Amino acid sequence: MHLDFDAGKYAVYMWPAFGLTAIAFAWMIVDSLVQARRWKRELERLQAQDTASREPQA
Amino acid sequence: MRAFVEGSNQQAMDARHPLDFLTNPERFMAFSRWAAPMFGAIAAALGLVGLFLTFAAPEDYQQHDTVRMMFIHVPAAVMSMLIYLFLGGASLLSLVFRHALADAAARACAPLGAVFTALALITGSLWGRPMWGTWWQWDARMTSVLVLFLFYLGYLALRSALEDEQKAARAAAILALVGLINLPIIKFSVDWWNTLHQGSSTLFAQPGDRLPAVYLWPWALMTLAYLSAFGSLWLVRIRALVWRRKARALALRAAEN
Repeated sequence: MHLDFDAGKYAVYMWPAFGLTAIAFAWMIVDSLVQARRWKRELERLQAQDTASREPQA
Repeated sequence: MRAFVEGSNQQAMDARHPLDFLTNPERFMAFSRWAAPMFGAIAAALGLVGLFLTFAAPEDYQQHDTVRMMFIHVPAAVMSMLIYLFLGGASLLSLVFRHALADAAARACAPLGAVFTALALITGSLWGRPMWGTWWQWDARMTSVLVLFLFYLGYLALRSALEDEQKAARAAAILALVGLINLPIIKFSVDWWNTLHQGSSTLFAQPGDRLPAVYLWPWALMTLAYLSAFGSLWLVRIRALVWRRKARALALRAAEN
C-alpha cells in the first residue's frame, strides 16, 4: 500500500494542522502525568510526615 | 447485638451498585490504575492504524490532499462536544449530590475539552483557507464552536478566580450547565441555517452525503483513538485531583495540630 506524504501546494496548510495536533497531544499527556505525579508525591510526603508525628516520643 | 449491627453495616457497605467504581474514591483509584494505561495503549494502537489509513487514502477529487485534514479535524470537533456533554453531566451530579468525584471529573475534563475545541477551530481554519478561500467566516457552525471554546475558558477562569474552592466549583458547575444549551445549536446549526460549513457526512448523514469507506475508516479509527486518549487522560487527571484533595486535607489537619 502506497503512503502519500506529498501534499503538494496544500502542504503549507496540512503539515501545520498535523504538527499542532501532535503538539497539543504532547502537552495534554505531559501536563496530565506531571499533575498526577506532583500530587501523588505531595500526598506521600504529607502521609509520611503525619505518620512520624503520631509515633510516640522515645 | 453489637456484632449483629456491625455485621449489617458491613453487609450494607458491601452491597455495591454496578457503577460503584465511579462513585467510591478508593474503588475509582483501583479501577483507574489499570484502566488509564489500558485506554492509552488502545489510543496509541488505533491512532497508528488511523494515521496509516490517513496517508494511504487516495486524494479527493475536490479536496485533494486536504481531505487528510478531515481525519484530525472532525474527531477533534466530535470530542469538543462530547467532552462538554461529560462536563455538563458531571457538573449536574456534583451540584445535585455534592459528590467530590463528580466535581473532580468535571474539573479534570475542562482543560482537555478546551484543547480539543482549539484544535477543531485551528485545523478547520487551516482547511478552510485553501478550500473556501477564507480562514474564518462568522457562520452559525463556526461561531457556535467559538462560543463553546469561550464556555470552556469561562469555566476554567471561574474555577481559578475564586479562592473558596467550593464556591468556585458551584459557580463553574452552573456555568457549565448553562453552556449545554449550545450543544444542539452546534449540532443542528448546519441544518437550521444556511452555513458555509458543510453538513454531516459521517455516521448520521443521509446515504448520498456519507463518506465512502476509504475515508470513513480512517475517520472512524481516528475518532476512536481520540476518544480513547481522552478517556485515559481524563482518568489520570481525576486521579491527580483525588490525590490533591487528600493532600490538602492532610495539610489542613497538620496546620490545625
